[in-house]
Amino acid sequence: MSWQLNFVITAAVCVLLPFMLPQYSLTILIEALIFGLFAMSLDLMVGYCRLYSFGHAAAYGLGAYSAALILTKLQWPLPIGIVLAVLVTILTAVPIAWICTRSTGVSFAMLTLAFAQLGYAMLFRFRDITGGSDGITGIPRPSGPFGMTWFQGKTGYYYLVLGCLLGSYLLCRAIVRSPFGAVLAGIRENEAKTVALGYNTRAHKIATVVLAYGFGGLAGALYAAFAGFASPELFFWLVSGRVLIMVVVGGSGTLIGPILGGVFFVFLEHQLSQLTAAAHLRIHIHGLRHVRAGRHLGAAEEPLESRASGRGRRQ
Amino acid sequence: MSLLGFIVAQCLSALSQAAILFFIACGLTLIFGIMRIINFAHGAIFMLGAYVGFTAIAVTGSFLLSLVIAPIVVGAVGMAFERIFLRPLYGRRDGGAYLLLTFGLTVVLSEIVRVIWGAQPLASGIPDFLRGIVIVFDQPFPLYRLFLIALGFAFAIAVWQFLDRTRAGLLIRAVSQNAEMVHALGTDVDLVRTGVFGLGCAMAALGGVLAAPLVTAFLGMGTTVVIDAFVIVIIGGMGSFLGSLIGSILVAFVQVLGAYYFQDLALAFMYFLMLIVLVIRPGGLLGKED
Repeated sequence: MSWQLNFVITAAVCVLLPFMLPQYSLTILIEALIFGLFAMSLDLMVGYCRLYSFGHAAAYGLGAYSAALILTKLQWPLPIGIVLAVLVTILTAVPIAWICTRSTGVSFAMLTLAFAQLGYAMLFRFRDITGGSDGITGIPRPSGPFGMTWFQGKTGYYYLVLGCLLGSYLLCRAIVRSPFGAVLAGIRENEAKTVALGYNTRAHKIATVVLAYGFGGLAGALYAAFAGFASPELFFWLVSGRVLIMVVVGGSGTLIGPILGGVFFVFLEHQLSQLTAAAHLRIHIHGLRHVRAGRHLGAAEEPLESRASGRGRRQ
Repeated sequence: MSLLGFIVAQCLSALSQAAILFFIACGLTLIFGIMRIINFAHGAIFMLGAYVGFTAIAVTGSFLLSLVIAPIVVGAVGMAFERIFLRPLYGRRDGGAYLLLTFGLTVVLSEIVRVIWGAQPLASGIPDFLRGIVIVFDQPFPLYRLFLIALGFAFAIAVWQFLDRTRAGLLIRAVSQNAEMVHALGTDVDLVRTGVFGLGCAMAALGGVLAAPLVTAFLGMGTTVVIDAFVIVIIGGMGSFLGSLIGSILVAFVQVLGAYYFQDLALAFMYFLMLIVLVIRPGGLLGKED
């Protein structure tokens, strides 16, 4: 079977899913697709340049916070807000990429981690803009240009996320199959040889990191507008670790693998945390998120156990 | 309040912080030096140490005894983990496998701790004979923190002497320089690796027991500390023992002074320090460039 046929079948199933699933499952599905997109963006770095980033949460957080600020403060239409958030992430990524690509291997991982944690720290420094540990809550989804409102409902938002994921996948696929992608493969397999062949590998690496941040920022922006709030946990290193695991589990260097890895992980965590309190990371990230949101609304802090199982309250 | 007294108190406070950080960072850098892997589970090991220490105090009633028991127990857990899970991966070149495994161990250990000890924080409190205040230059200073400084100092000297003077230390340094050559000379390199992994875990556990009276033992106590330890190891140079000592002191001073003078930027300072060091010397202060 050719990949086009596979692609069409998969796309058709994805388009029809909202009509087959209950609302709660659709929420998880949207979250899963967003994380799939996020994992795919990291795969550009890990799978094609062997640049193990341990700070990819920076891209996610940057996208989420930019979108949150643009949508909340300026009330600009959602699509424009998301595009602007991606641009902000890309622009911020340029100096980060320039510094990080000075080193490779473990140092690279640690430099990216440093930038992500720096971003985490900065959220508390500029409390009046970012809301500090409370984050930004009540992010609206303002209606789009030409009076578009189809993405304000959950089903519509699902299609928006699906469209972004499919578009990003096709774009990334084109990138890694282009001559540019061939150089990336050269860097992965043997960087010294690629340099000897006359390619500027540093520039290629910078471009890849910036691209990966852009797609990661898109995932973050989609998430912020979906969840309705952005919290500092989005920048925390556990997010970076989680997405790196998704890439490795899904199969790095395949693009589609990390997407499946991300989707699989989100579903698995939801299922496991319904059975037991076993999804430690979810409790960490989402639990704190719930408490923060609750605290913001004036609710008292809940005991830890209800935090673990309190996911259903969002619906 | 005299200025001198204030400065001394701040420095002592930073040094006691450095002692705790050093216990974790030293093990982390030893493990990296030998195996070239970043042990993401080190924070969870630190936490496990604190909880095992809590139980050891509850059972034996002695804080000093728990300082011996917890490292032994956790060190044994570390050795078993290395033997069963890490050793089959040594032939593989990709870093992803180690990452996945040690990150997974973090999650598993947290869950095990939750199942055994529950989700509530456990406060063991400072042992009676270390409770109290010492007056240093007119400034009151907790005796326990002085105890930490002394212990950290003794520990640093002990590890240094161990690495420099004993045959086991010689083997560890040799394996970190050229494992294949050591293997060719007839030493069981796998055994050295198991031993060092256990030793590194034992050190982190010791740090956990010592930190527990200050911060109480709770489930997330490893997640921030392990990042501090990464920063230290990176600043000092991966695999360098002296580097981890210098890094611990630097980071502790930045944390304590930052928290006092620039509360909002305290978190950021540490990462600024790391960025500056890495941009100037990509391999860390005392490390080799990779």
